[in-house]
Amino acid sequence: MNLALLYVDELRGFYRSKVMLFLWGGLPLIAFLFHFVQGNGTSQDILFSVVSALVVSSVGGTLAAVMLAVSTINERNRHVYELFLVRPLKRRDLLIGKCLAIYTCVAVASLIAVFVGVAADYVAGSTLPAALFTDVGQSLAVSLSMLAVACSAGVLIGVASPSILVGAILVIYGGNQISVIPVVPTLLNLPQVALVTVGLAAVVTVTFIWVAIALFKRKQF
Amino acid sequence: MGADGEVAGLISSVPADGDALVVLRGVSKTYRQFRALDNVSLAIGAGEIFGYIGPNGAGKTTTMKILIGLITDFQGEVEIDGCRVPQQTQEAHRLLGYMPQNVAFQEWRTVDQALLTFGRLSGLTAKQLERRIPTLLDLLSLSDVRHKKISQLSGGMAQKVGLAQALLHEPKLLVLDEPLGELDPLSRYQLKEIVLALAKNGTTILFSSHILSDVQDVADRIGVLSGGRLMQVGTIDELKTQLSTQQSVEVLLSFATAEWQQFGTLKSVQYVEEPEPGRVLVHLGDNADAYLVIDDLIQMIAKLGIRVRGVTLSSPSLDEIYFRYVQRGEGSA
Repeated sequence: MNLALLYVDELRGFYRSKVMLFLWGGLPLIAFLFHFVQGNGTSQDILFSVVSALVVSSVGGTLAAVMLAVSTINERNRHVYELFLVRPLKRRDLLIGKCLAIYTCVAVASLIAVFVGVAADYVAGSTLPAALFTDVGQSLAVSLSMLAVACSAGVLIGVASPSILVGAILVIYGGNQISVIPVVPTLLNLPQVALVTVGLAAVVTVTFIWVAIALFKRKQF
Repeated sequence: MGADGEVAGLISSVPADGDALVVLRGVSKTYRQFRALDNVSLAIGAGEIFGYIGPNGAGKTTTMKILIGLITDFQGEVEIDGCRVPQQTQEAHRLLGYMPQNVAFQEWRTVDQALLTFGRLSGLTAKQLERRIPTLLDLLSLSDVRHKKISQLSGGMAQKVGLAQALLHEPKLLVLDEPLGELDPLSRYQLKEIVLALAKNGTTILFSSHILSDVQDVADRIGVLSGGRLMQVGTIDELKTQLSTQQSVEVLLSFATAEWQQFGTLKSVQYVEEPEPGRVLVHLGDNADAYLVIDDLIQMIAKLGIRVRGVTLSSPSLDEIYFRYVQRGEGSA
């Protein structure tokens, strides 16, 4: 009950603070820019949908981790959590609600970017063989897995870092690299790569969030 | 749950007509090398207004944060209405409302949004909040800013929103950390009226403040904290009586002179001080006969040729009580 309330409340916050607008408009826009500037003018050689998936994986993961780390540290340092923590709710719900809300925002932004890419490819007259949809589906699985790992890394760094500056540095140094873990099955050419990717991401995400919750429970406010 | 013998022995005048709602037993808290709280024991009766005073860094906020479960690593025992903190924090949190010293909300929140969210998290339904929020906004003169972002409000207004969120679920225990700090005189008056009305309806209130006159206006009992130690607890009259066994005589000098220091040689005088230029306080020892000392003092004044504007036996104000206990705390720290 409280988790659902906190989740909806965070989403409302992203909507009101225009975070959603920038994410949902920004990621497809960045994908567009990438598509047209990459390859020294040979942009038409690579499908837009593929570029979109690549952009979403790299930029979206960083954005999610930074957003989570910065907002967690900021709210903790400004004592915003005190008003929540004196109510009958579990500390873990506060973190999970925030993490899920940011994941939802970034995941929706990713889906928008990828589907805009597919639509653009279709409009541009590129052939869209069935294999492409399989590739896009697989790319999405990897992207969403990377985003989940990035979110959990962001929340862990947010709980553990003493200041926004340290948090931002840690996210850029470490969080972004950690979020690449789900790509490993693809690089190793493992069978049933999508399933293995999602499974691996789930294990890493749950572990990071579990550690973050344990640390958050011990925090003195 | 009543205050047990141990606590009752340490604390004066726990209301006899009601059991203690809040009990702290031997609570200590250390931050690295710094002892923020030192063996604090305290019992607050149901429906009581307890004023908590002390200088900056005395440990007021630490005590409150331990009580409400924001600080969990401490020594000692804490109970709210029989719920042990931090072991039964969830149950305790249903009973309490808290207004921190610096109220902070997410920047995007409007007054309405904040109250809706915190109301729901406190267990109220949307329907209950539909009735409760306008009532509270009216009570605190916030109706005009209901849909404004809290980050755009003045400090005093934001503080009122902080109070509104604490009152939403009509808590049994209200913990207010420096609630009057940023308020203008009218708002301070309003808040004191609200506090008195809540206590009349049975709400127990613990509040800290630097503004001693405000504490005097509303508190049933006062606790003086200094250097992490609870120096004294009692009604204002009890604290005055306690100090009046060590009475003081005020001597107002007409001209600056250092000869007042000789007053200290008189019999039954404990020590002499000049808290401000031209105002000398002659502190008497325990059970001294103040009138005999005044006789001796007047003779000495005449002998030394000191010109004075007045000599009066002074009864301590709350300010003096506060300073006296705080000085004791610092002296023994």
